[in-house]
Amino acid sequence: MQRVKTGIKGLDEMLHGGFLPQTANLVEGAPGTGKTTLGMQFIHNGISLYNEPGIILTFEEFPQQYYHDAATFGWDFRALERDGRLKVIMTSPEVSKLDLEQVGGMIETLANETGARRILVDSLSHFEKLTDDPVELRAIQYSFINALKREGLTAILTKESSALLGTADSDESIAFVADSYIMLRYVEIESAIHKALLVLKLRGSDHDKDIRQFEITPRGIEVQAKFEGREGIMSGSPHLSMADSFVRAFVKKDRP
Amino acid sequence: MVTNDDFTARLMNDMDPDLLDFVKTKVNTFIKWDLVRFFHENPNTADTIENIARYAGRGVVAVEPELNELVESGVMEVRHLDEIPIYSLTTDESMRHMVEGFIQACEDRHFRVKAVYHIIRGMR
Repeated sequence: MQRVKTGIKGLDEMLHGGFLPQTANLVEGAPGTGKTTLGMQFIHNGISLYNEPGIILTFEEFPQQYYHDAATFGWDFRALERDGRLKVIMTSPEVSKLDLEQVGGMIETLANETGARRILVDSLSHFEKLTDDPVELRAIQYSFINALKREGLTAILTKESSALLGTADSDESIAFVADSYIMLRYVEIESAIHKALLVLKLRGSDHDKDIRQFEITPRGIEVQAKFEGREGIMSGSPHLSMADSFVRAFVKKDRP
Repeated sequence: MVTNDDFTARLMNDMDPDLLDFVKTKVNTFIKWDLVRFFHENPNTADTIENIARYAGRGVVAVEPELNELVESGVMEVRHLDEIPIYSLTTDESMRHMVEGFIQACEDRHFRVKAVYHIIRGMR
């Protein structure tokens, strides 16, 4: 089966090769967990490793913020824009919705001009400003996602989570509309904050069920090994598994 | 005796004539200057008056006439989605090149001083 590789160390392995083409892939997490970094890396790797031009659609952060943040990882987004392989578009959810409904709208035109195959939408949470009605919101998001697929784009859609640790109460209807669902979480272990990544869903494919640690390195996100000997990771405050608790309580450690 | 007009003439003498014309006829207010700089830094922005005013940290009443003048002078473009005007930087390459030249020139303090002087003078 053809895959759209993220090029992110460890993540493609979890996705059993990558996302499926022309799918909408939700990345949800609290502020600072790395949603936008993961999305930018997906776009940058698409251009530089797989010759797949991309679009970044931002609803809040100014494009110059993306140029700046990307540069800290050594990704020159301005140069990629000059080369016509990337477009960083700033607009609002209401304008992008109307634009994609039109024939020959700005997003469609830029996608055709660049030959874009990938898009980062940052963030889908801003569509919640358009309506208080959850049924209408789901219809708007469904229509928006279908328009992206119509343009032949494989999308990463970020979604903000209000809870810094543990799970937040929020409308998760978008999880049903999206083709895959990746959760990023802060985890507190022995008075230190770690980051966890879980692929909760990947429609049409099997995927890794482990909860893995990840780090934002100077080269971008790197997904590492799963959390060993801990339970309740996604609660934000994991505890030792029974076996590890037993070992820690009863097995003597070697002393120098 | 040196008059104010002589002084102004001397001040503008060494300015690139195209840039001088750009300052005189297109970026002739500080709000327009801010808007042009914003759209240069974020060139694929397309949005409503309300959102652009929010991005610029100003009120709609202040921004709307300035944006419309930038459209009339060819720096910006407007199109309508469901009758809502959506503003973006012009796609005309020569105008984009002129905007680029203006922003680059603004990195020089002497140019900025001259441009500021001209705008203030024009506002009197």
